[in-house]
Amino acid sequence: MSPRGRAATGAAVAGVAAGWLAFAILVWIYGDSPREVAGQLLAGTWGTAYGVGQVLYKATPLLLTGVAVNLALRAGLFNIGAEGQLAVAGLAVGAAGAALPLATPAWIALPAVIAAAPVAGAVWACVPALLRARFGAHEVISTIMMNRIADAAVGLALACGLAIPGTVRTPDVVRGARLPRLEALGLPSLHGSAVSLALPLALVVAALVGGWLARSRIGRETTLVGLSPTACAAERIPVARRIGVALVLSGAIAGLASLAPVLGSKGYYESGMGAGAGFGGIAVALLGRGSLTGLVLAALLFGTLEQGGLVINARVPMEVMSLLQAVIIVAVALADGRIRGALQRGAWA
Amino acid sequence: MPPLLALDRLGKRYGAVRAVDGVSLSFAPGTIHAVVGENGAGKSTLLRMAAGVVTPDVGVVRIDGEALAPHTAAEAIRRGVGMVQQHFALVGVLSAIENVMLGAEAVTGLGRLDVPRARARADAVAREMGVSAPPWDEPVERLGVGDRQRLEIVRTLVREARVVILDEPTAVLTPGESVQLYAMLRRLADGGRAIIVVTHRLDEVRDHADQVSVLRQGKLVSTRALTRGEPGLLHDIARDVMGEEPPPALERRTSAPGEVRLAMKDVHLGRALHGVTLRVRAGEIVGIAGVEGNGQRELVRVLAGLAAPDRGEVHCEAAAVVHEDRHREGLVLAASVRENLVLGELARFTRHGLIDAAALEREARGRLHRGRIVPADLDGTAASLSGGNQQKLVIARAVGRCERVAVFVFAQPTRGVDLGAARAIHAEIARAADAGKAVLLVSADLPELRALSDRLLVLARGRIVAELPPDAPDAQIGEAMLGGDAAEANEGAAGATA
Amino acid sequence: MTFLAALLGVTLLAQTLRMSVPYVCAALGGVWSERSGVVNIALEGILLAGGLAGVVVHVATGSAWAGVGAGALAGAALGALHALVVRGGVDAIVSGIAINLAAAGGTRFVLRALYASSSNSPPVEGFRSVQLGGAGGGALLERTLVDPLTVATALLVGASVWTLHRTRFGLRVRACGEDPGAAASVGVDVRRVRLRAVSLGGAICGLGGVALAYDQHQFQSGMSGGRGFIALAAVILSGWRPARAAAACLAFAALDAVQILVQDQAHAASGYLAQMLPYVATLVALWAIARRRGGGAIAGRPPAALGKPME
Repeated sequence: MSPRGRAATGAAVAGVAAGWLAFAILVWIYGDSPREVAGQLLAGTWGTAYGVGQVLYKATPLLLTGVAVNLALRAGLFNIGAEGQLAVAGLAVGAAGAALPLATPAWIALPAVIAAAPVAGAVWACVPALLRARFGAHEVISTIMMNRIADAAVGLALACGLAIPGTVRTPDVVRGARLPRLEALGLPSLHGSAVSLALPLALVVAALVGGWLARSRIGRETTLVGLSPTACAAERIPVARRIGVALVLSGAIAGLASLAPVLGSKGYYESGMGAGAGFGGIAVALLGRGSLTGLVLAALLFGTLEQGGLVINARVPMEVMSLLQAVIIVAVALADGRIRGALQRGAWA
Repeated sequence: MPPLLALDRLGKRYGAVRAVDGVSLSFAPGTIHAVVGENGAGKSTLLRMAAGVVTPDVGVVRIDGEALAPHTAAEAIRRGVGMVQQHFALVGVLSAIENVMLGAEAVTGLGRLDVPRARARADAVAREMGVSAPPWDEPVERLGVGDRQRLEIVRTLVREARVVILDEPTAVLTPGESVQLYAMLRRLADGGRAIIVVTHRLDEVRDHADQVSVLRQGKLVSTRALTRGEPGLLHDIARDVMGEEPPPALERRTSAPGEVRLAMKDVHLGRALHGVTLRVRAGEIVGIAGVEGNGQRELVRVLAGLAAPDRGEVHCEAAAVVHEDRHREGLVLAASVRENLVLGELARFTRHGLIDAAALEREARGRLHRGRIVPADLDGTAASLSGGNQQKLVIARAVGRCERVAVFVFAQPTRGVDLGAARAIHAEIARAADAGKAVLLVSADLPELRALSDRLLVLARGRIVAELPPDAPDAQIGEAMLGGDAAEANEGAAGATA
Repeated sequence: MTFLAALLGVTLLAQTLRMSVPYVCAALGGVWSERSGVVNIALEGILLAGGLAGVVVHVATGSAWAGVGAGALAGAALGALHALVVRGGVDAIVSGIAINLAAAGGTRFVLRALYASSSNSPPVEGFRSVQLGGAGGGALLERTLVDPLTVATALLVGASVWTLHRTRFGLRVRACGEDPGAAASVGVDVRRVRLRAVSLGGAICGLGGVALAYDQHQFQSGMSGGRGFIALAAVILSGWRPARAAAACLAFAALDAVQILVQDQAHAASGYLAQMLPYVATLVALWAIARRRGGGAIAGRPPAALGKPME
């Protein structure tokens, strides 16, 4: 393995180890037995077919938001707005799906409705992208503000007619726009779980983005811009444009994360659906360290934690999972810094 | 009696390279002791160890015979060793007096700053130095280079430094200002201090130093006492520095310069450029002399198309620009050598939006070998290369565009670069001109300008104030450098006679 | 009362003052941290942690002042954690995100562990007894001005300005934020100064969390509601200057107060629009400030070393 690969794996291992340690301490503080709780968690996630399906289902949006945040990171940006981007996209998908004529065949309905997701996400990322590219305003605050505005905007749209009166959800999308669940497509062992075609779709998107970053001119230039905007500007690479496009693309991919719950699982959009995937994506991106395998594994890990949280919620509050996420993020970053520093000790002063 | 400052077998490695290798040296009060050597010889590292800024891997620094422990800058300052670094350690937004106070603040109860007391002390020090006090309440970033340097020296003296180390102090001064600086240093030395000057300028050593030590590749080669007027001494020292006979002058093909490829007419830019007019023809090297801060950066930025002038015209055919700061504008340090070698040219290797990796590899490999970059590893990061090789990379990239450009602009091309790399870079610059390109060379290094330029222009205060032949004497060039502003010239005179 | 009359009335002033305290405390926290060179987006999490700590101790001991101490301590601890993690080589924004995540989840975890509810704590009295003085605008104003936390916050603003510009510690903080290399070479222990500055900022921010919780007379999960980020925007807007940041916070708090007024008056749709108000205002402010920058003025630009990795 290359030195960089070794560094990444080492950091990931350190992160997971730290996470386990934190888990044990927290459970013990709460007064329960870490080993038993962990056992229950594993049994409820990877121990049953339903559990596996649910883990995959939860991992799907996490993979996409992870890819989205990672893309922004390559360009030197922090997209904290995945939460809002996927909320707006979910609403768009739900509304579009419900607005189509009932008998629309799948080969028209699906692409049309699916397309709404990245468009909505991209639009929601436009304001921070513009603020950053044109005016240099830091995207951390602007994307967080957009998250909060999304809450209100989605609520407003639902109240103004998009929702079924008296509820906070859109009407069901037409049959042709549903993403079939994997259990219906020949994997009956995943009986009852919500994992759908959204999963392979997510994998394809992740692979495409990775390939784009590595092999396309704009992708490579975007990565270089993220590493040194001044050097790239001096060589006439259009820094502002690359940054802006990266953030908008990131929003689009985050928007795709809404497909799993809306089209694959429930068949409508409800206020609050998909919450947590935005911040989870940050954890996935930081743990996955930029490689496709890393992102997939990280998404699986956090998907396991999310589903596991539900499983153990009766014994230990599922909020412990956010704490674990935080610990893992920090542990990975710390370990990565140390390992990277040691590898680079040959650097000339 | 133990020497005031003694360096005992100091050694320091950076990665695989020994920056300083077993150097022992002592310094006595009342002397100006020069430490010379080419870039990369280890002078700065050695003296930064003496000042506690860098921790040695081996060896001990002794002050009055006692080891410096703990080995920190704070402790060294406390024991009486002060250093004025090459890039001033001054915080721009703070006022002059705040900078003097920083780290050893005079305080009243509750930690409140006692500014009047600090100011009184600083005024006294300035009087001892024989210079007028800088404006204490002015933010440092508004002060000129000479004032800032004096401020740094005031700071070390306020802390009662008995050893004052200056690292390349004349790199940012005009020839006239250098003379004033050494006069002040002599006054300080006569007051019983040990003055150590790190420099690569042998003419200064000849004119002002009492002792000179030569470093080469991290090792101490010789220490001599200088007696005035000893002939051949400079030559001996130069040979020590370079380890062999000095190289012959660069061979240049002399042919009549061709058409004008680069022309600037009355270019103004903000507060930096006030009417720059110049012309460069194909096949000629025009040197721009001047110390930092006179508009060089902005001039290069305008030529590179990164800044649009407020007024005036710029006609520049396709140009390859090597900026002065390789870490900021030259390289993406975290990226591979391969990517850096073709930075900004990805469009050339793109088909249908995707990169043709094989073609890119061929071009990068070619540039790597032509530029003689060591180690010859395209996958390594640019950050892992030495300063000299990093600069060779940037030059190789520019030169690699030779066929597509008509103009070359080189800004400080050998700053911080070791002798071998510098020679290679000079050869490339000469070759570019011989290939019929118009070359503009912006440099603060007069010997470099003299060796390469066909014509010399002096840039002062954002204006081209003089055109001189490359062999014009120092004094004439120095006078031209001051030519932009009469007030500065007057202040300089006052400092010398106080 | 008509909308206009309400807008100009004492109630709005009282509400503004009351709601500004957490913002101002968080902003001061941001100023101290960032002036020393450490980016701090963890203000949101520190508000939550400080608020919960204050309430938990108040409930356990019955003393509002003990809660104040606990909140400040919790804030200082998180600040110190942030500084140490950043010193360890982690990007400050990553550390901030992690702290916010941990605080959000951690506060809910503690709520469930202690009070078997993941959303609310038991009620606390704080410094303002609800019954005293009645509910009118004038009475609210009086209660707010007399509240020790309001007074403390006002004093902290002045103290921060004085300390930053007139003391040794303040000078070193400013130096570390502008040019840590220069500061180090004259003997300043940059790491120690930054640790102290960020912890101090955390403590003040923690106080803001306590004020927030006491004001609502209980701790609710997620009650910071984005204030930490808005406070950070105020810091940026004000050019990292304490007094101006406080003024910006007053403006944001006024918007909050207007929002309450609007929601009282009208129906659902405008309620949502009013909800967006502070956040949209922040975006507009960010845009305005970013446009203006590039003038090269000394005051008002970020500390030069902000966002650069610690050596």
